Amino acid sequence: MVNRSPLYETQKKFGAKFIEFAGFEMPIQYSSIIDEHMAVRKAVGLFDVSHMSNVWISGKDAVKLLGLITVADATKVPPNMSQYSEILKEDGTIIDDTIFMNLGDKFMMVPNAGMNQIVTNWLKEQIKKHKLSAKIEDVSKDFAILAVQGPRSKETLQKLTKVDLNNIKFFGCQYGEITGVKCIISHTGYTGELGFELQINPTKNAEKVFNAILEAGEEFGIKPIGLGARDTLRLEKYLMLAGNEFHGGRTPLEATLGWTVNWDHDFIGKQALLKQKERGDFDRLTCLVCIEKGIPRHGFEIQNDGKNVGVVTSGTLSPCLNIGIAIGYVHHDLRAEGNILDIIVRDKPVKAKIVKPPFVPKDWAQKNLENVYNSQ
Amino acid sequence: MADEVRNDLKYTETHEWLKIKDNKATIGITDHAQAELTDIVFVELPTVGKVVNKGEELCVVESVKSVSEVYSPVGGKIVNVNKKLEDSPESINKSPYDDGWLVELEIKDRSEVDKLLDAAAYKKSI
Repeated sequence: MVNRSPLYETQKKFGAKFIEFAGFEMPIQYSSIIDEHMAVRKAVGLFDVSHMSNVWISGKDAVKLLGLITVADATKVPPNMSQYSEILKEDGTIIDDTIFMNLGDKFMMVPNAGMNQIVTNWLKEQIKKHKLSAKIEDVSKDFAILAVQGPRSKETLQKLTKVDLNNIKFFGCQYGEITGVKCIISHTGYTGELGFELQINPTKNAEKVFNAILEAGEEFGIKPIGLGARDTLRLEKYLMLAGNEFHGGRTPLEATLGWTVNWDHDFIGKQALLKQKERGDFDRLTCLVCIEKGIPRHGFEIQNDGKNVGVVTSGTLSPCLNIGIAIGYVHHDLRAEGNILDIIVRDKPVKAKIVKPPFVPKDWAQKNLENVYNSQ
Repeated sequence: MADEVRNDLKYTETHEWLKIKDNKATIGITDHAQAELTDIVFVELPTVGKVVNKGEELCVVESVKSVSEVYSPVGGKIVNVNKKLEDSPESINKSPYDDGWLVELEIKDRSEVDKLLDAAAYKKSI
């Protein structure tokens, strides 16, 4: 059965075109992916991301559990702060990447869409195995999630809340109210822009918040944004999409997420990672920019002198750069910046150059686009 | 949504249009198709001189998120391609029946043209 966001009818009203993603019928776009993409880079956009999962983690061993099942040391995450991390199997491969928020009384974990059962089962298994005292509640269906992203996002949202958004640090989170609706407000996002995310329970309140945000952002040209632009926005910033980048069993080291690993604590998968780190001979995620016409897509082969040396995990036309961009796993010897490889697009090689991530750096929009609001 | 259907053209159920003049057909995708795809950002055109059969892949049209094959509504030899689309694929969105044409083809078998939809029949199908 296909799931729908509690905001499905609202999305329809705004002209959404739908696709199925991770078992959910969600908007792919409202007007145009490129227009929506640019609205977020220049001003502000509103996303419904209710397909993402929500899991409460509580009890006296909650911190211990989070430390054990993620590569982050949860003791280092104070109340009202959140953490991006990965959940690993014993062999070091990623089950899911996630954010967990320390809300003081308990933790809210946000696994990917459709991952709630796998993650909650894994957590419950580890609680049993390690005899921990912690409670896991899958509340994915009880929460709607909205993301307000773009240089004008803070101004837009500030109109609707008494919480001083300047006091929420990057990756900060806290309980609050938006237009009188209780929610969790976090300074997080998936676009590389200034932005906030709202976890709303009960879901029947979400429509009021959705409409209020669109009204508050109207003067800035706010647009509702679909998953199409969400994907191009995240890809330009080299942010991972679990179903693409981790598909088939990849480790944080392969996915160049070594920076998220806290080696000073014990966690599931650590031994496997240490071994892999020592060997060093593994393919790693790499950024490629096409220097010839063609659009790389998920699954396309990467070649060097006609030999297979990697695979594209995500590719698109970059709306900002107006050229094909790709991320993919590339043989460790061939990842030097400036190196040119071939991406095979429908049997034809398209030359692509290895670049440093992200494709679109932080001040890029300011420098290269017109009418970009400076939120600094 | 814009769904212009021109009376002087022939159509297919897969949203290609054809302008028939003597034994030549200019082929493109319909206004309905471009509106469904939105944001066309890349077109892969065939080489001039290539012979295609009815139903074979003629070219590839890509939007930001999707790759769509355009199938040849009739068989024949490709005599011209719209090179301008390589630099301005958005012409297909802006002007699907004029600037956004894809290829010109020398029709091999006129009887295939008779099987195409007329404007009224296509309008009904969308």
